[in-house]
Amino acid sequence: MIEARSLTKTYGAKTAVDQVSFTVRPGLVTGFLGPNGAGKSTTMRMIVGLDRPTAGSVTVNGKAYRESHAPLHEVGVLLDAKAIHSGRSAYSHLLALGATHGIGATRVREVIEMTGLESVAKKRVGGFSLGMGQRLGIAAAMLGDPGTLILDEPVNGLDPEGVVWVRELVRYLAAEGRTVLLSSHLMSEMALTADHIIVLGKGRVLADAPVAEMVSASTVSSVRAVSPQAAEIARLLVSPDVTITSVDAQTLEIVGLTSAAVGEAAASAGIVLHELTPLKGSLEDAYMNLTADAVEYRTGAFDPSTTPMNQEASR
Amino acid sequence: MTATTPAVHHSAQHASNVRLSTVGILRSEWIKLRSLRSTVWAYAVILVLQIAIGLLVISVTVGRDGLPSGTSLTDIPGLGILGVTAGVLFAQLVVSVLGVLVISGEYSTGQIRSSFAAVPKRLPVLWAKAVVFFVVTYVVSFIGILISYLVTAPILAGAGVSSNLFSSEVIVPLLGAALYLALIGVLAMGIGAILRSTAGGIAAALGLLLVVPVIFQLIPADWSASIVDWLPGSVGRAIYDASAVFDWWQALLIMLGWIVIAFGTAAVLMRRRDA
Repeated sequence: MIEARSLTKTYGAKTAVDQVSFTVRPGLVTGFLGPNGAGKSTTMRMIVGLDRPTAGSVTVNGKAYRESHAPLHEVGVLLDAKAIHSGRSAYSHLLALGATHGIGATRVREVIEMTGLESVAKKRVGGFSLGMGQRLGIAAAMLGDPGTLILDEPVNGLDPEGVVWVRELVRYLAAEGRTVLLSSHLMSEMALTADHIIVLGKGRVLADAPVAEMVSASTVSSVRAVSPQAAEIARLLVSPDVTITSVDAQTLEIVGLTSAAVGEAAASAGIVLHELTPLKGSLEDAYMNLTADAVEYRTGAFDPSTTPMNQEASR
Repeated sequence: MTATTPAVHHSAQHASNVRLSTVGILRSEWIKLRSLRSTVWAYAVILVLQIAIGLLVISVTVGRDGLPSGTSLTDIPGLGILGVTAGVLFAQLVVSVLGVLVISGEYSTGQIRSSFAAVPKRLPVLWAKAVVFFVVTYVVSFIGILISYLVTAPILAGAGVSSNLFSSEVIVPLLGAALYLALIGVLAMGIGAILRSTAGGIAAALGLLLVVPVIFQLIPADWSASIVDWLPGSVGRAIYDASAVFDWWQALLIMLGWIVIAFGTAAVLMRRRDA
């Protein structure tokens, strides 16, 4: 359980995290979403005491992280893949880290095996790829068998196999009753992994809700109908509660009616339907709607981080 | 690397035994120190320098090339440890660089965030690092100094200058010289902890040893000369070599004063700053 109360961090005149309050519960995977510069990483660093809050407080299991008698057992943290001396081998890094808590070579070998690093464990970290660095960071986070995991962009740089592995790992850990907080820029990945989402924008909490609830609250469900007699269907369905958009000569998008209602209306008028599809909003749509005003570094109209493939992602 | 279904091994033994401890933090720093190539190389260089410079200086002196004409070898006080003290002047530079690297390397690579995440109170990391570095540097330095004495003593004996390792005129300076090297290394580590940068730390630590004394010597005033006496380099020499200004224990106290100032500053900053 992580509880943040009015957590604030300012760097000079710039406020990175602004009066943020939230609770991350055990047994769930909680996703931290937000544009670059929204304050996700800073918030994560404050949870484990690496950054000192300007105001407010954050506790892990009811007390400040620095008061823990076994910090590595309390929280396992992956902050960024570069939090490791490049001149040391993966094995030595984990051994030195574990030694602080009396964790020995047996457990070090366990986490190396678990993260698939056996073949490179004795090599110097400086030569690791981004993906291997991430695996080592996850191994370090798991070292103390922690009740809480904080993973900042864990799938960054991983191959597709690794992405699936991280997803299964965090879902498994949450199912065991652990608290899991992770951030990701991959919206489709987050939709598949997280149970609960906290959206940050410009250092504030924009939304804090279960994934399904967030999607339904922040997006509009619609129905797509394709018919050679699209114009006739549109006439049939007209009512003050219904919005009909004509996508092309044969395609309509209808908001305010279920697909069943549209189908029945067409059937009773004897109109042929070539397609009738309920369209659900995705987490990505919800996220875009929520953060539309809070994007710190905006690209042009086309945002390359959105991939059309993700549009239909739903849980 | 294969991605398989997450097999999370968590043995029951961990939950109960896993606990932050002083011994554990010391062991962690020992693992960190010995698992870097730069450390191993630096200590090897210290050993080689100490022995090679000792041999060189004693050979040249015994060969009379380094002596003013008309003086006899036996006229030179402390000749028995001349080889040792000459080597220390060079070894101190390597020790200082290593002292800075031990802490600045953690900042430059980001390792410090892993270290502080494991030990969120932070200062135990600094103390443990200093203790481990002091002990290891003392041991390595003393081994180098001892070897350099042992290989130069026969050369001197051949020239009629005999000394006894276990006499206080010999063993005390040898132990003191190793103590000086370990302390100057720890001071450099304190400077590195304040500046958090390898380049800045090395410049400051070597500057304090080599440049600052020269600057004060250039100022023609009594107070300026006294300041030079109090700087770590000359104070440190007084720990193991006869000094006109301080007794060895006074020199040791002043040296410890420098270390307390450096580490006091470093500790305050380390607690305050974001990692």
